[in-house]
Amino acid sequence: MNTIDARIHQVLDGELPADALPAEQRDATDAIRAAADLLAAPVPVRSLESRVMAEIHRPAPSFARRVTAWLATPHAITFRVRPVWSLAFAAAAAVFTLFYARDVGPQLGEHEGIAQFVGRFPDARSVHVVGTFNDWRPGTIALQDLDHDGVWTATVVLPAGTYEYMFVVDGERWVPDHLADRLVADDFGRENSVVIVRPVHR
Amino acid sequence: MRLWAVLALLGMPLTAQSVQSRLEGRIPSDAVPVVDSLVQVALHEGLPSEPLVQKALEGGAKQVPSPRIVAAVQASLGQLRDAHELLVRAGDQPPIRAGEVTTVAWALRRKVPPSTVAHVVTELPHPPRAAAIHAIADLVAHGFDPDSSAGLIIAAVHGGLQRDRLLDVSTAALHEVQRGRTRDEAIAVVRQQLPNVPGPPKPERGTITRAHRPDTPSPP
Repeated sequence: MNTIDARIHQVLDGELPADALPAEQRDATDAIRAAADLLAAPVPVRSLESRVMAEIHRPAPSFARRVTAWLATPHAITFRVRPVWSLAFAAAAAVFTLFYARDVGPQLGEHEGIAQFVGRFPDARSVHVVGTFNDWRPGTIALQDLDHDGVWTATVVLPAGTYEYMFVVDGERWVPDHLADRLVADDFGRENSVVIVRPVHR
Repeated sequence: MRLWAVLALLGMPLTAQSVQSRLEGRIPSDAVPVVDSLVQVALHEGLPSEPLVQKALEGGAKQVPSPRIVAAVQASLGQLRDAHELLVRAGDQPPIRAGEVTTVAWALRRKVPPSTVAHVVTELPHPPRAAAIHAIADLVAHGFDPDSSAGLIIAAVHGGLQRDRLLDVSTAALHEVQRGRTRDEAIAVVRQQLPNVPGPPKPERGTITRAHRPDTPSPP
């Protein structure tokens, strides 16, 4: 460790004029004084205001970058549910499944449509519709008269296409559908009704 | 070609068996072999066989005597032959789709003149034409002039309407008649509307909900 000459101390303390030193020690004195000034100078610190303004002026990230960052960042999701509400939700889901979902009807395919058969047979005990859609097999598609007003109906899902049919009343009486737009001779001396089933999902 | 012939030979007994199994117990037993032979003739001639089976089943269900069932099946075979020949004469190349033959035969049964059907086939060379022919048959059945009806439907096709939308054209013309127009006026009005004819009403949700599927629907 180098020791500093006592006279240099005296000059630094102002007890001796600098001129009292030889040139070499004057240079050393100046160097020490410059170093002391440098150490004493305050460190430049940016103010809060300048830092805030710098953040404001920084360009905002793009929407895609923000979405990506949000998606890539883990998020904690917390549900606070009372057990009684959980039970209520489960009960509602069960009711929906049992009653509503059961009544949505059949899922129709791309090439399927719906045929509605309606006939007025006030004194009938049973009415069936028979045709090329069921190989003319009696008894497979029954019409219903739920309110007993004599109007019998059936709604049937069929592949799209053209079909001939007749009603069979009480298992023995063959009757054409008088409400049908189309009739065609059946080659047995009577007329068949004709229905064109169009696909529901066009 | 050889493979096709082998497959046909292999398939014929199976087809015969399946036809007989469908007929047995459904029509009088003495009619089964006759109807079966007519079905084999249809298959041999490249004609659709399902209409013949359906006609026999229909006769059996209606408890028609055997001779009348056989006569009706023979008549159906003749209609299919006529339809096939008409399609070939009008320019279709064999083998012709079964659906086209069936549709044309059906139109002839509904009294659409063969010349009108041939005109439609010539003007609309690309099958399927079922909807077009059904639409014309609907108009003819309601007293419209066959050629005017065909002209309207062909114009609708050229206007961009296809398949089932052609049925909406005939329906629109029928509605115009119900509103008091003459048939010629109705065709003129609808022709001006083309291709903007109203579509069919969509089935309501309740209708779909009520619908049920029969056990084994037969293909049309």
